[in-house]
Amino acid sequence: MSMEKLKPWFPWITLAVLVLLVGAVNPAFFKLSGMVALVADIVPLFIMALGMTFAIYIGGIDLSMQQVANLVTVVATVYLAQFGPFVALLCVAAGFAIGAVSGWITTRQFVPSFVATLAMGFIALSGARFLSGERALSMNAEARDASFGWMFGNTAGVPHELIIAGVLLAFAWFLQTRTTFGRALKAVGAGELAAVASGLKVDRIKILAFALSGSFAAIAGLMFSVKLSGGDANLANGFLILAIVAVLVGGTPLTGGVGGVINTLVGTLIVVVIRTAMVYLEVDATMQQMIFGIILIVAIAMTIDRSKMRIVK
Amino acid sequence: MATLQSTTTVTTRARPRAAISRDALLKWAPLLVLLVLCAIFTLMEPRFLSIRNFARILIAASPALMVAVGVTFIIIMGSIDLSMEGTVSVCAVAFAFCFLWLGGTLASWAWLAIPFAMLVGGLLGFVNGLIHVRLKIPSFMASLAMGFVGTGLAMVMTGGDRIRIEDELFRSLLTERILGFPLMVYVAGLFLLLGWFIQTRTTLGRNFYAVGGGEDLAVASGLNVARVRVLGYTLAGVFFAVGALLAVGRIGIAETATGNNFMFISITAVVVGGTALWGGIGGVWNTLVGVLIVFVIDNGMVVIGLPGYVQDGVLGILVILAVILSTDRKSISFVK
Repeated sequence: MSMEKLKPWFPWITLAVLVLLVGAVNPAFFKLSGMVALVADIVPLFIMALGMTFAIYIGGIDLSMQQVANLVTVVATVYLAQFGPFVALLCVAAGFAIGAVSGWITTRQFVPSFVATLAMGFIALSGARFLSGERALSMNAEARDASFGWMFGNTAGVPHELIIAGVLLAFAWFLQTRTTFGRALKAVGAGELAAVASGLKVDRIKILAFALSGSFAAIAGLMFSVKLSGGDANLANGFLILAIVAVLVGGTPLTGGVGGVINTLVGTLIVVVIRTAMVYLEVDATMQQMIFGIILIVAIAMTIDRSKMRIVK
Repeated sequence: MATLQSTTTVTTRARPRAAISRDALLKWAPLLVLLVLCAIFTLMEPRFLSIRNFARILIAASPALMVAVGVTFIIIMGSIDLSMEGTVSVCAVAFAFCFLWLGGTLASWAWLAIPFAMLVGGLLGFVNGLIHVRLKIPSFMASLAMGFVGTGLAMVMTGGDRIRIEDELFRSLLTERILGFPLMVYVAGLFLLLGWFIQTRTTLGRNFYAVGGGEDLAVASGLNVARVRVLGYTLAGVFFAVGALLAVGRIGIAETATGNNFMFISITAVVVGGTALWGGIGGVWNTLVGVLIVFVIDNGMVVIGLPGYVQDGVLGILVILAVILSTDRKSISFVK
């Protein structure tokens, strides 16, 4: 039975082994300042993965996140001068609305979330391209510093990005473990029919889960846009797949009901350690993508808990 | 499922039998969407309905059609394959290297590069299937990771360079036209027929439906599901390779980016065509209709002169509508 007890810790063990391996080959990896900078750098990805966790936790998926983030970078850039810091509310509201519509299409119209969110992503992309006039926009530097300059400051050596990530993680963790909504999410993910039979308002819960993932995508998009001081309909491209990978490697399987936001933290770290390790170990740039894929297969094979999956599809 | 519905239509005497059954409507809904789209575009811009324009649509659609047919088999099994971008890139680059190494023209031994590329595609699919089945990793993750490996492998092989294929005989895929349509359209048509043959006339094809319709039942009736799955991924890999060959034939360049965008387009097309993601329903004809819907929208929007950004939005809305129209709400209690 010790194997059974050990299983939830597999992602942690994978992470520890990876860190030790890289550190053993190149001790420079262990330098604290380098590590903090490294982790601070991936905060937008982590936030996106956090949101993705909600969608995957209920057994769905949200493929619109990248496009929502793209749209938000444009929205933030265009309306920053007009609304100041309150543009953040507008951004999150946009993400929430798009997510809620995806959720509504999935639950009420019986369109699988894979397709519904993919399609909503196209619609968001359309909005982003329209609003940006198909150009890369840049923010007014003064307005940016006045409204969001605090995002990239330091307090006692801790980058504020990390604090934001910590707050969001705490919020997501609280939702997941300490609220009835969180328990309902688990019920829906573990067995939707049973959840319906026990009187849960499953439709509402699922719509809210997608709205949450949309909101997190919006926050990630806002951070991108402030960080890069601009907005563009392609700014966040490439992050969707990484966010999904981070969630899956962390041990939240696509079947739902297992895992959670802490797993996503570990998963994101694993992804980042693998990526960075290749730089530290001086892997040839053209080889990196391939090696990333291979390590990914190994990491997933080691990490996922198959006891809850009857048929592997 | 189908039998259940037909009995209900028979027992409900209130409605006359002459009304079109829901089954038939569902079956033909994607085609109906395609025809309505064509009609709308033609009404708004008569030039849409010309051989020239249809040739343009089919040229753009041919590589994607091959990739989509490949993934159709996987989706019928209720699994998914997201490795196509990597596989297409590797096959394109492997073909280009082999082709140039063997002489660089189809008139020499270089024609061997074509079966070689298909072999490479099959091999990648085989590995993909083995990882999925033997390591018990869900296909979504296994194939996604294999896609990374593929894209990476193509990057290693090319070192980021583009390889030009300038052989006129090979490029005749695009340049040589019969009845107004270039050769690659006919090649795609032939492979579509092959896909249809595999789907309906071979044991393997029937087994895909058995696995997708109910894996428990398939196992209980003694089917070697693991073998069917691995063969399915191998077959899909071969079709991805054909897609890669057509893609190279179309633009005359093989590079790491050759595979870009195939993933979302092909899966969107399969789903829009009416093949359900949970498996057991649909087939290659659905996929043909789905691919045509996607590319007709793409082309029609340009022809009627709508700005580029509208296309994505309209495609998104149509994808949702197409799936809503082609879903029988009575037969499913929930979707994931």
